[in-house]
Amino acid sequence: MKVVERTGAQGAEKFYLIAVVQGLFLTLGHVIKNLFNPKRMSVVFYPEQKKALPPATRGRHRLMKREDGTPRCTACMLCATACPAECIHIKAEESPDPNIEKRPEKFDIDMLRCVFCGFCVEACPLDAIRMDIPDVTIADYTRESLVYSKEFLMNHDNKDVVTGYNPPRPVQLTHGPHARP
Amino acid sequence: MLTGENIVQLVSGLLHWAYAQAGISSLAGVIDPIISAVVMFGFIAVFVMFLVWMERKVSAHMQSRIGPNRVGPLGLLQTVADAIKLTIKEDVKPVNRDKVPYFIAPIVAFVATFMGMVVIPFDKGVVVQDLNVGILYIIAITGFTVIAILTAGWSSNNKYALLGGFRSAAQIISYEVSLVLSVVPIIMITGTLSLSGIVEYQKQAGYWFILPQIVAFLIFITSATAEANRAPFDIPEAESELIGGFHTEYSGVKFAMFFLGEYIAVVVSSAVAVTLFLGGWLPLPYLDFLHIPGFVWFLAKLLLVIYLIMAFRWTFPRLRVDQLMDFGWKVLIPISIINILATAVVWFCLYGKGAQ
Amino acid sequence: MTDLLLSQVKLSGESQFGTDEYVVNMGPQHPATHGVLRLIVKLDGETVKETIPVLGYLHRSIEKISENRTYPQCITYTDRVDYVSAMSVNLAFALATERLMGIEAPARAQWLRMVFVELQRLASHLLWMGAFAGDIGALTPFLYGLRERERILDLFEMTCGQRLTYNYIRIGGVMIDVLPEFVPKCRAFLDYFEPKIAEYEGLLTYNPIFLERTKGVGVISPEVGINAGICGPSLRGSGVSCDVRKQQPYLFYDQVKFNECLETAGDCWSRYKVRMNEMRESISIIRQSLDRLEPGPIEAKMPPVLKAPTNSEIYSRIESSRGEMGVYLVGDGTAKPWKVKYRCASFSNLYLLDELTRGWKVADIMAVLGSLDMIVPEVDR
Repeated sequence: MKVVERTGAQGAEKFYLIAVVQGLFLTLGHVIKNLFNPKRMSVVFYPEQKKALPPATRGRHRLMKREDGTPRCTACMLCATACPAECIHIKAEESPDPNIEKRPEKFDIDMLRCVFCGFCVEACPLDAIRMDIPDVTIADYTRESLVYSKEFLMNHDNKDVVTGYNPPRPVQLTHGPHARP
Repeated sequence: MLTGENIVQLVSGLLHWAYAQAGISSLAGVIDPIISAVVMFGFIAVFVMFLVWMERKVSAHMQSRIGPNRVGPLGLLQTVADAIKLTIKEDVKPVNRDKVPYFIAPIVAFVATFMGMVVIPFDKGVVVQDLNVGILYIIAITGFTVIAILTAGWSSNNKYALLGGFRSAAQIISYEVSLVLSVVPIIMITGTLSLSGIVEYQKQAGYWFILPQIVAFLIFITSATAEANRAPFDIPEAESELIGGFHTEYSGVKFAMFFLGEYIAVVVSSAVAVTLFLGGWLPLPYLDFLHIPGFVWFLAKLLLVIYLIMAFRWTFPRLRVDQLMDFGWKVLIPISIINILATAVVWFCLYGKGAQ
Repeated sequence: MTDLLLSQVKLSGESQFGTDEYVVNMGPQHPATHGVLRLIVKLDGETVKETIPVLGYLHRSIEKISENRTYPQCITYTDRVDYVSAMSVNLAFALATERLMGIEAPARAQWLRMVFVELQRLASHLLWMGAFAGDIGALTPFLYGLRERERILDLFEMTCGQRLTYNYIRIGGVMIDVLPEFVPKCRAFLDYFEPKIAEYEGLLTYNPIFLERTKGVGVISPEVGINAGICGPSLRGSGVSCDVRKQQPYLFYDQVKFNECLETAGDCWSRYKVRMNEMRESISIIRQSLDRLEPGPIEAKMPPVLKAPTNSEIYSRIESSRGEMGVYLVGDGTAKPWKVKYRCASFSNLYLLDELTRGWKVADIMAVLGSLDMIVPEVDR
């Protein structure tokens, strides 16, 4: 650390009235410009008009489904382990499909704890969980209703959303049933 | 020709005809002032609502926002909605308040400022009561607000409110002095205390007093802003320091009264400034062939001055309490005294003894 | 009445109407304490006799929680240490962990980090400028500041999907590469933003009331500042060169040209001016970083589970928007840190509040508090 010597008085400070008038004209300029060109104002009329969410938005979670409607998730617990907020609660059970070992009996995401970090999506090797529903105004009246169940998370048409969080994955699946288009 | 005076004569003619029909002509002396007071109240209520809307729009546009735009066209009815909301709102009162002063304070604040409107001439002959001591009356009656604010601050039993009340007392008393002193040169020149008389003098003289008395005008506007507790002199209610200052503990209608009182104080001070320095209802020079009624000119000038006061608020930071006092006592008052002396000397040299 | 009062004075030998301390609790809910800071202010009339900050209203025990999280998971908690400048804290933790484990992030990631951290500095200083002006009573600069901050947040959202808690700068690199249109958009923003600083300065810098309120108020002398551990722009306002970016360059700060902004008076105005000038320097740093951005990997090769060596410890510091942001880590050979300690600029800067406001007026508390750029979550953690 070194200490700099103090310099003398600054010149422009002396002209008090000029600064006053300058400030008044600055705001007056804004008033006039905004009156005649309302588009200058960066205002979004919120409930009617919403800002488009960029493709990278980490939105609400959903659980992806196989073609037969069962969850892709194999209850491997990687997402629950990666979650820094400990908001994913999975209970595994035997899968009736002989090719698949396990499936989630219960898959709850506690949205009150979720911090939207995206670690679960990055951790999933099967692309079973995504954060691409462009809904960032998650609100409800009770705590219970904000713990999303497996059924709620799977209540979607399984289509790929163009906008949505698509992070690099530890295992890139390019073919097979779990490949990401 | 449409002038304010004609309209007043027409209305009073109609009224007196109505009195005669109802057989109460003898009571005209009692009813007339009541009617004019009611009309003035109606006008001021609507005008203040417009002003609140205007302030919000002006500040919004200064800040690149849109401001109220939901209720009514351009959000004009937003203030009405706010007023309704304030009236039906629960009146939260602190338990340990001093009951009577707490109740009276907002009423005094509102009435004291409103009474100032009585002597403002909107046009030639359009004035509720053209007192011959008009200026003196306004300065005296608006000085009551300090009592209201001090009472409010004291009776709320709140530390912020008390600080705000004391700040306000100190501030208003100091700035009252410079306010009066800035008006003195005008009175010296015109030799009258009547507001209409001062306008008439400007008409005959052919110039407005802002030209020879620009210093007095600046001092007057500054002191008036401070008198009305407006930023940059809003230390009694300084939001970032004292939360709400003296009206921290007020809600509902009582808060609305303080709020209205503040805006009426702005209107009164601006109206006095227009009358004294900007020629009141007189048209702009070389524009009198347009035959625009005087009250339109008056309102236009009034809005201009009010815009200036609003621009102060949204452009400048707030002074600190001791700097505010310094500014009042060490800057404004000496300058206005010098201004008085200079005016006296110059006018004596120019016109001699018979200046009037 | 007067006789009665005088007789009382005579009887007791001294005035019964002595002055008393007027204790005002400012906060935890107060418009000017930027969150939930509580100040117990002892007043003598308007004059401040003592200011006691009471901390802990926003304590979330982030340091303790971090001991039970893996290193990558801790990054999400660093977002919440200082949510106005989350990128900086992300970077501080990521750098500390990288140094602890000997990971080297690739060049593109480093340049991206510089772009984002400096953008974050702009956003943070803009919010600070608005809040400081608001504390002093000017409400318009706040809106101007937020207007530009919004565009910065748009750039962040475009890249990492979040506007406030990014979780973008990761150990060993960054989360995701920027989109191709990011660079032109960022340049366009900088061109738009540069003249706006003059606009803010036009409203504030030489405004007589602003000068009255800030000049000579809250003067930190260099010796006191150094001894009290003041850091960042607050200390640079006293003329002490203490920019970590210059003194101990991290990332590629040694490869870009920028000036350390110094003022000499040490008052609120100097601190204001330092930050305004820092915004200009940040613009220059971002421009240079965007020029040097070349295609390449954005993440270092790392083991799947990050483990610190046994009995390893590190103190790593960066220059966050608020000053020196230090992270002290102790590793015990597992995937979780044994101890995490954040050295936050807000906390150390708050230390001087009492000394700076004693003997001044109530309103000066707000000016001094604002000029120190204090963020409550960073104080309490």
